[in-house]
This record gives sequence, structure tokens and C-alpha cells, in this order.
Amino acid sequence: MLYVIGLGLSDEKDITVKGLEAVKASERIYLEAYTSILMVNKEKLEEFYEKPVVVADREMVESESDVILANAQNVNVSFLVVGDPFGATTHTDLVLRAKELGIEVKIIHNASIMNAIGACGLSLYNFGQTISMVWFLDNWRPDSWYPRVKENRDIGLHTLVLLDIKVKEQSLENMARGRKIYEPPRYMTVNTCLEQMLEIEEKRGENAYGPETLAIGCVRLGTATQQFVAGTMQQLLDCDFGEPLHSLVIIGRRMHLMEYDMVREWVPQENRGTFEEIYKRDYET
Amino acid sequence: MVNFSIDQIRVLMDKVTNVRNMSVIAHVDHGKSTLTDSLVSKAGIISAARAGDARFMDTRPDEQERGITIKSTAISMYFEMPEEDAKEIKQKTEGNAFLINLIDSPGHVDFSSEVTAALRVTDGALVVVDCVDGVCVQTETVLRQALGERIKPVVVINKVDRALLELQVSKEDLYQSFLRTVESVNVIIATYHDEALGDVQVYPEKGTVAFASGLHGWAFTIAQFARMYAKRFGVDKAKMMERLWGENYFNPATRKWTTKGTSAEGKPLERAFSMFVLDPIFKLFDSTMNFKKEQTTTMLEKLNIVLKNDEKELEGKALLKTVMKKFLPAGDSLLEMIVVNLPSPVTAQKYRTALLYEGPLDDECATSIESCNPNGPLMLYVSKMVPTSDKGRFYAFGRVFSGTVRAGLKVRIQGPNYVPGSKNDLFVKSIQRIVLMMGRYVEPIEDCPAGNIVGLVGVDQFLLKSGTITTSETAHNLKVMKFSVSPVVQVAVECKSPNDLPKLVEGLKRLAKSDPCVLCFTSDSGEHIVAGSGELHLEICLKDLEEDHAQVPIRKSDPVVQYKETVQAESSIVALAKSPNKHNRIFMKAMPLGEELSRAIEDGKINARDEFKARARILSDEFEWDNQEARKIWAFGPDATGPNVMVDLTKGVAYLNEVKDSCVSAFQWATREGCFTDENMRGCRFNIMDVVLHADAIHRGGGQIIPACRSAIYAAAYVAQPGMMEPVYLVEITCPENAMGGIYGVLTRRRGHVFAEEQRPGTPMYIIKAYLPIAESFGFTGDLRAATGGQAFPQSVFDHWEMLPGNIAEDLKLQELVKNIRKRKGLNVEIPPLDRFLDRL
Repeated sequence: MLYVIGLGLSDEKDITVKGLEAVKASERIYLEAYTSILMVNKEKLEEFYEKPVVVADREMVESESDVILANAQNVNVSFLVVGDPFGATTHTDLVLRAKELGIEVKIIHNASIMNAIGACGLSLYNFGQTISMVWFLDNWRPDSWYPRVKENRDIGLHTLVLLDIKVKEQSLENMARGRKIYEPPRYMTVNTCLEQMLEIEEKRGENAYGPETLAIGCVRLGTATQQFVAGTMQQLLDCDFGEPLHSLVIIGRRMHLMEYDMVREWVPQENRGTFEEIYKRDYET
Repeated sequence: MVNFSIDQIRVLMDKVTNVRNMSVIAHVDHGKSTLTDSLVSKAGIISAARAGDARFMDTRPDEQERGITIKSTAISMYFEMPEEDAKEIKQKTEGNAFLINLIDSPGHVDFSSEVTAALRVTDGALVVVDCVDGVCVQTETVLRQALGERIKPVVVINKVDRALLELQVSKEDLYQSFLRTVESVNVIIATYHDEALGDVQVYPEKGTVAFASGLHGWAFTIAQFARMYAKRFGVDKAKMMERLWGENYFNPATRKWTTKGTSAEGKPLERAFSMFVLDPIFKLFDSTMNFKKEQTTTMLEKLNIVLKNDEKELEGKALLKTVMKKFLPAGDSLLEMIVVNLPSPVTAQKYRTALLYEGPLDDECATSIESCNPNGPLMLYVSKMVPTSDKGRFYAFGRVFSGTVRAGLKVRIQGPNYVPGSKNDLFVKSIQRIVLMMGRYVEPIEDCPAGNIVGLVGVDQFLLKSGTITTSETAHNLKVMKFSVSPVVQVAVECKSPNDLPKLVEGLKRLAKSDPCVLCFTSDSGEHIVAGSGELHLEICLKDLEEDHAQVPIRKSDPVVQYKETVQAESSIVALAKSPNKHNRIFMKAMPLGEELSRAIEDGKINARDEFKARARILSDEFEWDNQEARKIWAFGPDATGPNVMVDLTKGVAYLNEVKDSCVSAFQWATREGCFTDENMRGCRFNIMDVVLHADAIHRGGGQIIPACRSAIYAAAYVAQPGMMEPVYLVEITCPENAMGGIYGVLTRRRGHVFAEEQRPGTPMYIIKAYLPIAESFGFTGDLRAATGGQAFPQSVFDHWEMLPGNIAEDLKLQELVKNIRKRKGLNVEIPPLDRFLDRL
């Protein structure tokens, strides 16, 4: 049996009871640690599970899945995923391969950024398509997400923006040379994300959003140090959000009054005036 | 004794119309350097007495020892023409003083990259041809290179003394042999005709062909004799020149000119060329060599030749040399020919700009180059690096095409990979000093205006081998030189003592800089590889490395050649590869590009930087491409210029432009390191048939697309009858008939085959032309010498890539070769199976 188990967002204790039982019953345990990270390290998990945990990096999951699936027809293997197994990152490929090998697969769900984002005060029902933001390079500045945001904005929905993380990636040069040298881990900040988004808006000029559009920076969601800051995109640009992981919500025009009341709480005192003004001007319908 | 000062030269540099930049080019051993000496002696840099054996331009001890030129050497000369002659010059000039910047280049094919570098900075070429050997393989190569750079040629038929002394030919035979040589040169020139350059065929009667003996230091053109006789016959000089060549005869009885070889009475007449030009020379030879003292004295009086007292004692060859040198001094006639017939930078840059400049032809740099404007933005092309006396430092040697370069000037140093608007391969630095290159010496100067050749100090560490130096922020690059040879032969080197490794690494860096063609790199297995154009080139490079650049004892492996991977058919299936996360799929097919097109790309006829519509038109007109497909070439590779292309044949794929860069990187990588041997690919076309991408950019970054596209390329090649190509030399061997048996034997043992064999007209020598795989060429020269008793002289030049028979996926013999290459490179010996690259649906 292959268990694909969601770990939730924060620490070792976020695992569900059912998930923990599956882990306890497993012979091998893999932790997928490149699409997201927990706030605690692997040792903490091992201590809690009283079992050894193998960290599976991108290469192992994508290129050496046979290792993970070995003999899973006969013994239990747990594959731990931060958040929910079918949340932001899908591991469809692993599940498909397991099925090909005749391995039974069981999914154990957990909280994901995709639902926990509700904590910011905006209703999950009012979110449109989710997009992710990658780091721009000198000659690679993909903007295919822009029409998605525009579509959301046009019908007044909120947009959740997930930010790129590079936990263990080779530089392009090292990859071309076949050298297994990895870059230090990097996590995109809300500030970088906003910078890039405003750059593309300036370039395309289709008015999907602008410096005065309201947004919420959501950081370390689901953890003890979780924090929300709301304001215009311009205001958030210079705001210090601290440690990773960061996410961003672009607020849609159809913000409900209840949503408004909640979001206003996240606006720093000195910006409340502007916030209310812009809400009245652009949002109240 | 130098008979001019640097100040005089500096003054002339401003009068660009009176500058001539020229290179001396020829087949090996046709006497370039010796001839150059006689020019240099005219300029007073070496004593006239030693001209002929000093080899002033061969600055390196090994050049002097071997008697061959290895590096091209530049020198500036000052020449004053008689005023009346200066009036005959058809292009704009000022006064009768001229500055001639001359570059002597090597003749051996292995060093022809030096020739390319020399040609780039000059506007004219003095093509030297041995009058006995005639036009040889390297004569053709260098001439072709010159015409390709829009360099105007003039010809010197050299070693005329050999024909007279050794072969004792008759006047008519000599004329015929001259005629043949001139014709063969003109055939080559006509083949590479270029509208912009106009008619550049050479004609003795127009003064663009000279006849010389570099060894004896004499030379003449028809113009010289015509000037002499024009007075005597009282006719126009131009008319006289026409009469002194070709089917023109003079009947001494009637004192009439005719174009028939017989007189009215049916008596044979002597050709005017023989009668008026060759006759005095033959007579002088006859009288001096046969010790007819009295006859000599009368002749000398007639010709106004005054001997000094000590010279009167001379006899035989020594006397002949002295007399001929006074009668027809080589320096005068050749320099005159150069000044009159070769273009000044002002003339030449008008038609060369289009070929030199990568940017639009109407921007400020292009217009300034076109007018050779010393006040425009600086545009300087560094064509090579010349070692200084300071170990490890180099003069950047190049030509100012526009503007004026001066010490302390802040300039942009743009390497070959610079793209306008980016900071890639760009440095902004100050020029420390500038110098004039004078053979073995350098002379510092203050500044140097457009049209001249200079050496720069202080930019060497910012350029690998060549590049553009400019003051304009919008300047595009001057075009990168295209070499006719490529580094196909390589050896691995290591130092005998491990402690010397840092010195070796540093030495390899310096070696790479000092030679336009050599490649130094580290293989994946950690070996230091030096790649050169041939055995001799490598030998010289390694000697330099050991003695100069690294100065540590080194050990070298046996030389090996480079191979190319290719495909011989269209892929039997559409190859699919998935990205590591499986969310992206790339469908690819490979097919052969065709030898003709591969060559056109290698020769730069079809270029990655061409405007895509114009390129598509050529591809559809000449290479039967579909015009729409031809417009969708995404990239050339490897190195963005190589003879493989990737074409986008997809229809309506979303986000495709966001993965284009990743696909191009993968293509560059895959064509640089083929899947079987890690050698370059050649002659492959990869069609992207379809692409399926994840909707979100985060799941289709370079880390996902590059490996997928690379696998797709490999898989597509794998199912397209993959093959190997090996480099093949064209060997030209000159030998007497009795040595031919031995030559055939040696060639057959080395997988070579003869495709042409002919007798050189008027000589007992035969010329054999054969193809010889370079892999079999090591030690060939020595073998040949042994088999023929030293009578055969081979000249090898890289000719083409030859397909080895078979398909790598099936043929055992090919697999053996592949495994050997893999072993040498430290790869896993087993050939990777197809399913490592091919994914199933």
C-alpha cells in the first residue's frame, strides 16, 4: 500500500490521526520537501513518529520513483506531502505509476494553502483561478498568468498567488554540464512578486490591476507566526514580511461587506484612510 | 639604418588616402617571407645586403630554424614614389609619400587561421605564386579567403631565377608558364566573383602581375618596362603595356607592331614580351653565369648600372644577384604595384562595410566606417593577440575602421558574444598605450586614426582572442571572423609533476589567447585538451605551451580527431519525451539537413544572424525548404551558429514562446554533446512536432523543459539511423613519376584514395590529389618520405566530413568506435539504450 499523506501547514503535530496511524504502520517513510516546506526539520518528524524519514528531493520523486515504490505491493510505504496531497502541488504522476505497478494507493488529506487562505477573511467561494509566480530571469519573464488574473478581476473574484520556492535546484549551467551542484534554497517574497506583477502590468497595460489595487500579503499561513498585511499593491511593495513562506491575494471587486470588515483589520493604522477611500471608489458595487 | 622616422609615419597615418593595408599570402614555401624581406629592405629596416636570407618577418627562433612562417607579422613601411608616377594612381591620393602596412602570413595550411586574421585588417593582398609549382591548393584557399573578405589581390610570380637557372627554359616556354599561372589565378578569382568588389582578375598588361625573384631581390612589372620603352618608341605608356603582353609581336625588319606570330614573309617573329622584357634578363643571366666578363660590362653600361669597386670583383651568382638587384630592385617595383593597384582604406571601406558590420548599415557606426571617418565613433576590430616581452601579456592587434584610438581613451570592449543592449561579454576600460607593430619591434605612438593597423596595450585580459572595441554605446559588433580550418585534431596534456598544475592551467589560458584557432578546454573526465587544425599546428602549440606559456615539462597523449554525430534518415517514429514532473511533453522528429546546406552554414553563407525572411527565401529557393517552415527556425547549434537547426512545426500551442528559450538551450546542449559520443552533432534538422505544457509557469521552468527537450532530440536522432562522420583531408602530393608507386601504397594502407593525378605542364613532376581520413594522417608525412626516398611532398588541408558506413544503433563496427570514444572520454563505455531518452505515451 502506498499512503500519500498530507502533513498540513505548520509542524509535526498537524498530521491527522489517520495519517499518523498510516505512518506508524509503514515500513518506509518519504518526505517530499521541494514544493513546500514545514516549519520544523526532519529530525523533529522522526522524533514524533519514532521512525526514520527519508527526504525525497525533486530528482528522487521525478526520476527515481522506482526507489519509492519498491515492493509497495507487499509493504506499506508513506509518502508525506506538506499541505494536502492534491492541493497546490499534485503528485498525480506518482499515483499513476503506482497504479501501473498494481500498488494500492490511499490518500489522506490535510489542510492546504488552498483552503487555509480563508483565514485572511476573504471567502473561499469568491476566489478565481490560482496562479503561481516564478522568478524572472534576464531573458525569461513569463507572463502567461496575466490573462488569468485579468479574467478573475473582470468578474470581480479574488486571486491567490503562490510564490516560487527553489529548495534544491541546479543552475542552468550546472544542469547542462550534468553537475549535481545545487543552488542555496530561495523563497520568493511578497515584495518580489509585487514588483514582477507591476512590471508586467506596465508592459501589457491591460489594466488587470495597478499600484492602487488592494491586496493581502499572507505569510507563514497556518503557523504560530502567521501574519496578514493588507493595503494597496504599492504600499505592500515596501512592507517587511519576514521569514518564508509567503503568498499573496489580489482582492476582487466583489468584496462582500463581511469580507471588508475582516480585511480592514489587516491594514496598518496609518493606511486605513487610503484603504477605505479606495474601497469606496473601486470596490463597493 | 631606418630611412624614415616614426614621426613621418604618424603624419602619413592621417592622410588615409595614402595608406595601403595589405597582406602577403601564398602556398607554403612559395617565398612570401623572403620576398617580404626585399620590401622591408626597401623601407630601410634591414640592410639591403642581407635581404633574401634574413627572414626579418619570421620573428620566432623556430620560424627561422624551420624556414617556415608560423605567426603573421606586421610592419609599417614608408615609400616615396616619383611624382610623375604617383599621378597615374586612379584613386584619390595626396602627394607622393605612402604608408604601407604589410602583414606577412604563414603559408602552411595548419596556420591559415593566421591568414584569416591578417586578411581582416587589410584591404589588399599580394598573392605570391611559385613560377615552377604554379597555383597550389593553399594558393586557392588563401585567395578564396581573401575574396571572401573583399580583399583585392595582386599577384607576384616568384622564383623566376629557378626557372632560369635550374630548368633553363626558353623565353617562349617561360612566357607560356607565366600565362598558365595567371590564367589559373584568374579562374579562381572568377569562381568567387563578388559584385561589390567588381572585376579583380589580374592582368600583366595592366600592371597587376609582377615577376620576381625574392631570393635575388629583384622584380619587375610590365609597367616598368613599358615606361622605359614608351620613351624610346614615343608611344603612350598604357599602350606600350598592352603591347608587352599577349599576342603582340614586333618586326625588327619593318619596325612595325603586329598581332600575328609570323612576318609577311612567313618568318616567325619573337613575342614582344620575350623580345623587350625577357631578353635583357636572359642576356644578363647568360653573361654573368657563364663568366662573359666583357659582355657583362657592356650590358651594364647600356643599362646604366654602376657597380661599386668591391662589387666589381664578384663573379657568377653573387655578381648576378648584385646586378639584377640594381637593374630591377624588387622593392621599387612591388611597392609601386601595391600603391598603384591596391585600394586605400577610404576606397576599400566603402564596399567592405556591409561585410564587416553586423548592425544596420545606416547607423552612425556603419556610416562612419563607410567613410573611414577619423572623427566618428571609434570602431576597432581586434583580430589577434600578439605576445609581448612581458610574459603572459599580449598586444591586441587590430585595425581602426572608424574614429581615432588614443592612449587613455575609455572604450567598450565587446567580445564575440556581445549582443547590443546587454551587458554580456562587455567591458568598459581605458586603453593604456598604443603601439605600431614593426616586425620584431614595437614603436609607441600617441594616437591612431581610422584606416590604420595598431597594437593596443591593456585590453588583452578582457578579450579571449578577438573582438570589437568602440566608443559608441549603440555599436553592434564587427563581424566575427570565419576560419577555413577548424580544430579537428586534439591531444590531452598533463604536467609531469603534479605541483606544476597551476602553471599548466595558466599556460593553457595564454596559449588559447595567442593563437586565433587553437582551443583549450577541460574534458568531462578532467583532462586538459588542446585542439588544433593539424599535426604541425598542434606540435607548434604544444612547444609554445611547454617552453613559453607554462614553462613546465608536459606529457601529451597521442593525437585523436573529432568526430561528428549525425542522422541519415527521417525519424521512424515521432519521439516523445516528458519533463521530469511529467506535466510537459515534447514531440520531436529528426531528419538530415543535407551536406550542401550543412556546408553553407559552416561557411557562413547561411547564418543564424541573417534576417529570417531573407534567409527563408534562400532556403526555399536553393535548398528546397518549405518557405513557411524556413521562417520558423528557432536556432542553429551548437554555439548558436553550428550546422544543425531546430524548427518549430507546432500549431497553436499555448505558452510556447515561454518555453522557447529552454528548448533552444536544450538544443544547444544536445547538439554540442550528441547522445552517443558527446561529440558535436552535424547536419541534423530537428522538427518540434507538438508540445503539451502545464498551464502554470512554475511547472514548466527550465529545470523541466531543458531535460525534456534534450531527451526528445536524442530520441529523435536515435530512431533516425544515427551515424558518425569523420574529418577528411584533401592531400596534394607533388612527386616525380617513379615515386608514385610508394605514394599509392602509403595512401591505401591509411584508407586514403586518389581521385586525381596529372602531370604538371612543362615539368616531369606529377600532382596527386587524394582524400585521407585525418584519423589516419598522423605520421603520414614521415611515412611518405620513407616510402618515396624523400621525393614526395604532401600538403594536407581539411576538406570535408565523410559519413562512416552504417547505423550506430545496429552496426557493430561503428559501435566499437563509439565505445572507444566513450572510453577515452571517461564515459560509461556502454552505449545508452533508446528508452533512456524515449518516453511512451
